[in-house]
Amino acid sequence: MSEHSSSLPDVEGPGQSIWRNLSLVWLVPVFALVVALGIAWQAYSDRGTLIEILFENGAGVTAGETTLRYRDVVIGEVEGVHFSDDLRSVVVSARVENAILPFLDEDARFWVVRPEISAQGVSGLSTVVSGVYIEGAWDSVPGEATNSFEGLENPLFVRPGEEGRRITLNVAPDMQLQGGTPLIFRGIEVGRLEEPRLVGDNMTIQVDAFIEAPHDARISSATRFWDSSGFSIDFGADGLSLDVESLASLVSGGIEFDEVYTNGAEVPDGFRFDIYSSEALARASAFVTDVGGEVPVSVQFDTFTRGLRAGLTVQMDGERVGEVASVTVHSFETDTGTERRHVASLLLDPAAFDALPDGAGPEELYDYLADAVENGLRARLSAEGLITSEFRIELAEVPRADPAAFERDAVPFPRIPAVATERPTMNTTAEGVLERVAALPFERLLTQAIDTMASIEDLAADEELRQVPAEAASLLADARDLIGGEETQAIPRAAFAAVTDLRDILAELRESGSIEALTSVLAQADTAMGPVSEASERLPDLMANLSALSETAAALEIEALVTSASTVLATADTFLSSEELAAVPPALSTALAELETLLTALSEADVVGSLNSTLASTEAAADELPALVEQTELVLAQIGTLSSAYGTRSVFLTEAMDVLREISAAARSIAQLARTIERNPNALLTGR
Amino acid sequence: MGCPHCGRVHEAPGPDMCVRCGWRLAANVPDTSLQWVWAWFFAGLIAYIPANIYPMLRTQSLGRTSESTILEGVVELLHHGSYSVAIIVFVASIAIPIGKFFAIAYLALSIQRKVRQGVHGRYRLYEVVEFIGRWSMIDVFVVAILAALVQLDFAATINPGIAAISFALSVAFTMLSAQSFNPKTIWAYGDHSKT
Repeated sequence: MSEHSSSLPDVEGPGQSIWRNLSLVWLVPVFALVVALGIAWQAYSDRGTLIEILFENGAGVTAGETTLRYRDVVIGEVEGVHFSDDLRSVVVSARVENAILPFLDEDARFWVVRPEISAQGVSGLSTVVSGVYIEGAWDSVPGEATNSFEGLENPLFVRPGEEGRRITLNVAPDMQLQGGTPLIFRGIEVGRLEEPRLVGDNMTIQVDAFIEAPHDARISSATRFWDSSGFSIDFGADGLSLDVESLASLVSGGIEFDEVYTNGAEVPDGFRFDIYSSEALARASAFVTDVGGEVPVSVQFDTFTRGLRAGLTVQMDGERVGEVASVTVHSFETDTGTERRHVASLLLDPAAFDALPDGAGPEELYDYLADAVENGLRARLSAEGLITSEFRIELAEVPRADPAAFERDAVPFPRIPAVATERPTMNTTAEGVLERVAALPFERLLTQAIDTMASIEDLAADEELRQVPAEAASLLADARDLIGGEETQAIPRAAFAAVTDLRDILAELRESGSIEALTSVLAQADTAMGPVSEASERLPDLMANLSALSETAAALEIEALVTSASTVLATADTFLSSEELAAVPPALSTALAELETLLTALSEADVVGSLNSTLASTEAAADELPALVEQTELVLAQIGTLSSAYGTRSVFLTEAMDVLREISAAARSIAQLARTIERNPNALLTGR
Repeated sequence: MGCPHCGRVHEAPGPDMCVRCGWRLAANVPDTSLQWVWAWFFAGLIAYIPANIYPMLRTQSLGRTSESTILEGVVELLHHGSYSVAIIVFVASIAIPIGKFFAIAYLALSIQRKVRQGVHGRYRLYEVVEFIGRWSMIDVFVVAILAALVQLDFAATINPGIAAISFALSVAFTMLSAQSFNPKTIWAYGDHSKT
């Protein structure tokens, strides 16, 4: 250009400005550059933040492929998987969307979702083909962002930030619950259990449960939880009923709950409920105790501890006051070396103690127990039941117990002294029963029985013996005829009538002033007779007789007469009332009839003379009485002889009867034993 | 002077437009074609960068998503033993575009620097670049066909990645760059004699 300008200085062309000749096409690369830079910047800013999650193992987690998800939406991707410095854990570094980052505070949890087939169903199935992913859960409140997290080994059943209520349940050791077990309210799943854990000296198992809103409002002190797993067969008066809960709970267990009474009190978060083993128990508990507040005590058993196990009932005065939570073995250093003792940890319910006021706490219970122990309260393992022994721990006042004290400072819990367990008897050992059965002389018994049967047969075949019943029968017929005879039948009536009359007369006599009255009557009669005798000379003898009679009557001690009469009558009464009355001579009847007539006449105070004759007749009759008695005795003797003859002959029979009775008793016991064994055939094997 | 389009020769100074085809006629007009070349060249270069660092294909197969860039694809093919395919992909997607960039840059620079040597060779190079440019699209074609065919939902799905668009743009830009090249300029300063 310089040569041009030197030769032609005036015709300098237009300045070749770069900008002037700049073509618009340059906008294209500029635009491309802007777009490229824009994309680059966007990619960089969208890259997210790197976080680290520590897992125990990195199964299935692949850098660049495994995604990070929240509520099943991808929020990041794993960038690298490497070990921590000490190779103890796997560090998964992942990039998370920046928008999520503020929520990743301390409560964020991560776990690896893998395909899982559980009783609740199949989960994470998509991960079978797509590979695992990392699921995160956190609440919806932004917090201080963190970059490093501890990953969980198991999926979180309850996500943080979920609406609901968290409670704690005490689990019985034999329930075997799993994390994720559904909580069921009237057949609807309203919550889940987390993983059960051991607490406090490994005595109890607790599990946290989460109940979703709005069902958490149903939790009150009236709420009871029970294990509804499996199925129950109830065979009762209303037939066979099979109760099967949902199939999931059949396999893995489900916890059902309900309010067993109304107006339960509010419970705080983290309240501890018990899980009952059945709905019936849970509902029954409403009348027994309030939940919670159980007080632990321990009992150390020195001797026999057969049957001691967790879950045994603790009774006091026949009432359930608690149960055995666990049984452990504690070793002690003693002079003779190390000794091991069974220590049972009991959980007592203060509310079950009548002596304690409502709402009593551990201190009150301990005080009460300390007093009671001083008064002889001891713990004791006891058993009941014949074949199947039902063990339990009794708190009972033991007379003549060795002095002991309630040890408040004992480990692990305040200790109630124990007394030696009642030695197992027939009650506790089926072996004993079996031994007895084995010891029974079956063969000898059978031989004896056969012999006895043979003897009985012989006896029965004996002619004399066959006659015995016939003789007895005829004798009895005779006796019946005798007794059934009309005369005999009449005797008692007549005798009784006479006796009654006699008694009436005697009573009247006694009433009417008695001896003096009679004497005076007789004197009057004497006096009256005096003129008569004077008047009538023909009757001096009579008068003398009469006078003598009057004197006799006057001298007579009526009381003695009465006594003898009543003795006679009593004898007669006894005799008459005796069923062994064999024969009574009609004379007695006549005499009695006469006596009756006489007495009637006497009662009418008719003729004094008739009294004499009557008395004479009575005497005559009385004279005949011994003969009657003799006769009766004779009959009785005959009967006696007959019966004794029968009796001596039937010694065999009596013996046979005894033997038979014994046999039947033995047979009954065998039948009982057989029934018992039939009812519980395991008893032969298990010894219970 | 000749019409740059149809070659009709006009007398100078002649009409402003070609009497035959109407193309603009100008003598010694400052040639701006090189600017066009450079502009498209840089645009292509810029587009080529994301085409290589971003994934070309998003392959979803049974839930698994894999993304691979061009170079990763080549390496993967090599790992699988498909050497021929790997070489084709490598040549079509990497060797040719890069070679094209170098060729265009060399041509443009040589014109700017008014290099006189090797005019025939450069012209031959220009023709090769022009010819081969469209074949670079083979990668884009493959991606387009795969993406259109393999849409089997869950079983397998292939989607083009950002790199596919970038690459297509890059190829388009370089083709425009090559086309903007005015071959006359090669001769303008060049030694016409075959050396």
